[in-house]
Amino acid sequence: MIEANPSDEAAPPTPRRSRKGDWMGLVYVLPAIALVVVFFLVPLGMTVWMSVHDWPLMGNPRWIGLDNYQRLWGDGSFWQALGFTVLYTLAATVGLMSVAFALALMVQSEGRATAFYRTAYFLPVVTGFASASLLWAWLSNVDSGLFSPAAQMLGMTERRVNILAEFTPAFWSVTIMVIWKMAGFFMVIIMSGLQAIPADYQEAARIDGAGWFQRFRWITLPLVRQPFALALILCVAGSMLAFDQFYIILNGGPSNQTVTAVYKIFNESFVSFRLGYGAALSVVLLLILLALSVIQLRLLREKGADK
Amino acid sequence: MYFRTVSGAAVAAALLVPGQLAAEEFSIWVRSDGSEFMPKLVEAYNARGEHKADLQIVPVNELVQKYAIASAGGSAPDALSLDLIYTPAFAEQGQLRDLTEFAKSLPYFDSLSKAHLSVGTVDGKIYGLPFSGDASLLLWNKDLYERAGLDPEDGPSSWAEIQEDAKAIAALDDETYGFYFSGNCGGCNIFTFAPLIWASDGEVLSEDGKKAMLDSPKAVEAIDFYRGMVADGLVPAGSQTDNGANFFAAFANGNIGISPSGSFAIGALNNQYPDLNYGVTFIPGQEEGNWSSFAGGDNIVISAGTDEGKIPAIQDFIEFAYSPEGQTILAQNGAMPVRGDIAEEALAGLDERYLISAEAMANGRTPYTVVFNDLINSSNGPWVTTLNRAFFASSEEDMRQAVGDGQAQMQSVIDAAY
Repeated sequence: MIEANPSDEAAPPTPRRSRKGDWMGLVYVLPAIALVVVFFLVPLGMTVWMSVHDWPLMGNPRWIGLDNYQRLWGDGSFWQALGFTVLYTLAATVGLMSVAFALALMVQSEGRATAFYRTAYFLPVVTGFASASLLWAWLSNVDSGLFSPAAQMLGMTERRVNILAEFTPAFWSVTIMVIWKMAGFFMVIIMSGLQAIPADYQEAARIDGAGWFQRFRWITLPLVRQPFALALILCVAGSMLAFDQFYIILNGGPSNQTVTAVYKIFNESFVSFRLGYGAALSVVLLLILLALSVIQLRLLREKGADK
Repeated sequence: MYFRTVSGAAVAAALLVPGQLAAEEFSIWVRSDGSEFMPKLVEAYNARGEHKADLQIVPVNELVQKYAIASAGGSAPDALSLDLIYTPAFAEQGQLRDLTEFAKSLPYFDSLSKAHLSVGTVDGKIYGLPFSGDASLLLWNKDLYERAGLDPEDGPSSWAEIQEDAKAIAALDDETYGFYFSGNCGGCNIFTFAPLIWASDGEVLSEDGKKAMLDSPKAVEAIDFYRGMVADGLVPAGSQTDNGANFFAAFANGNIGISPSGSFAIGALNNQYPDLNYGVTFIPGQEEGNWSSFAGGDNIVISAGTDEGKIPAIQDFIEFAYSPEGQTILAQNGAMPVRGDIAEEALAGLDERYLISAEAMANGRTPYTVVFNDLINSSNGPWVTTLNRAFFASSEEDMRQAVGDGQAQMQSVIDAAY
């Protein structure tokens, strides 16, 4: 029996549509367009509008043109926060993608135990970032938590070490928490890509004598590129917008070294009450994210085009 | 608007008694810190049946934002019990009603908390009146004092005594510590650390709030005093990253000898930890015999846009809060009375430790600045990041470096505001 190969990209025959049909199409998407306008374009426009004002939380906004953007250019603490955010994004993305890929490979096949493992790995995803952070803050607490007293009891350290008081252990503590919490989410995305690879390919390669690594390198990796790209973009965007975990576990400390870009925007807007300046920072962060996403799409698409 | 049908008798009474007004309903907000005393005060007031106060409790960290948004939308509360440190900033934004005339008409005006009034006054006009008080105090654990062979009835009264006593207590065992403070909490440290400096004739800010004085000699000595206790291992390691979450709980645990805290702790400890045997004293200066306190708490303010018709009712409510009955309700529910002349009467029958609070309150001070949030309270502000770096510095040189950097950062935040 001959089965249609699902990855064949023969274009389905396009049905002829009447002009009237075109209009009907527009009507059908109208609710979606309305949602985008109300919940995305209008707030975006308002943010840009605020960013060209001196906009205090109380009192009247005052038009100042591009002053906020000019000031931002010389604001060392914003660039420091952005630099830290990029560092964190690199660490979190590399960590998350490797762990998620490994987990996806482990649970892709159908088996009696895999359903259990899939659920177990995915479980942390459904806890909110705030509650996961609170849990982690407690586990990391030097006096009443788990890690420090356990390390001391096991004889690994002589005294209880406050892991949240120094940059390096504090940073990795939070990054590991994020990997623990989010790996299951990216695992599901990558796993769905793995499962879409027809078994015939792997089988044919195996008959041809390809080893595990060869099959992984030349069949699995190229065919899982699309879902992987999706996971990567989501992961980078999510990490660039990190806030909760650094706010709750570290308060941006020690010495403000873990203040992320969004944390800085939060501080400007709701601690210093400079909403206009916060808006300008948001606009810049949005542009950076946009550029990053475009670059990622380009890189992954170009390679994908040669298949 | 709320109207009440009034019987003929009431109308007659209203005509007979001068000053009697139609019943009004007004809205009033309080931050969640006031959730103990405020509902009871409002309940007692409403029970009198003249006017009606409609109380809303707002989470402490959201109050300013919420008020600003409500104000921009024209729905600000008519009155507000406002963390007193925000009074200057609110007043300078034109959000508050000038209460000078009403304030001066009160016969007991001169006995109202000076510290509250000083931040409630901007350019000679009074915008905020004292409402509730919270003073800084030093707590000591009497049981631990006894175990360490110290006199449990004699709390520390100088920096040197704090350090000596803390050393003796820390020597008891590995799980017991001499001293605790929240090392990464700006609000806690302006409240409990700054008094150590003030009591030694030092300053943190100049009187007009325009000059940071963190690098002044007494401030540096106070910082080094804390640093020394940290270096000697008298303070638990968790202090370094405590953003205030353990401000109260650490001492309540019972394994801390001495901890600076506030009058709020007395009520909370007595209710929640009745077995903890502790004493209360003033936060001392370097030399014995001197002490100081932060005068914290709330000012009551009226929104600039509040309907004129409601003003007499709100003023009536404020006067009720100042009455012996009102001040007693405050005192019994963990807030210090703000009317000095009847404070003792309001505190009668309560734990004698409350009396020390009241005295600390009466002589407390509140630093004035329009950028208090940015400078002091923000967990990323220069005050707390500098203190954190300096308290836990590994050498005196690093500590001085941290203070020097912090002084410059604080000054630049202040300069940016003026």
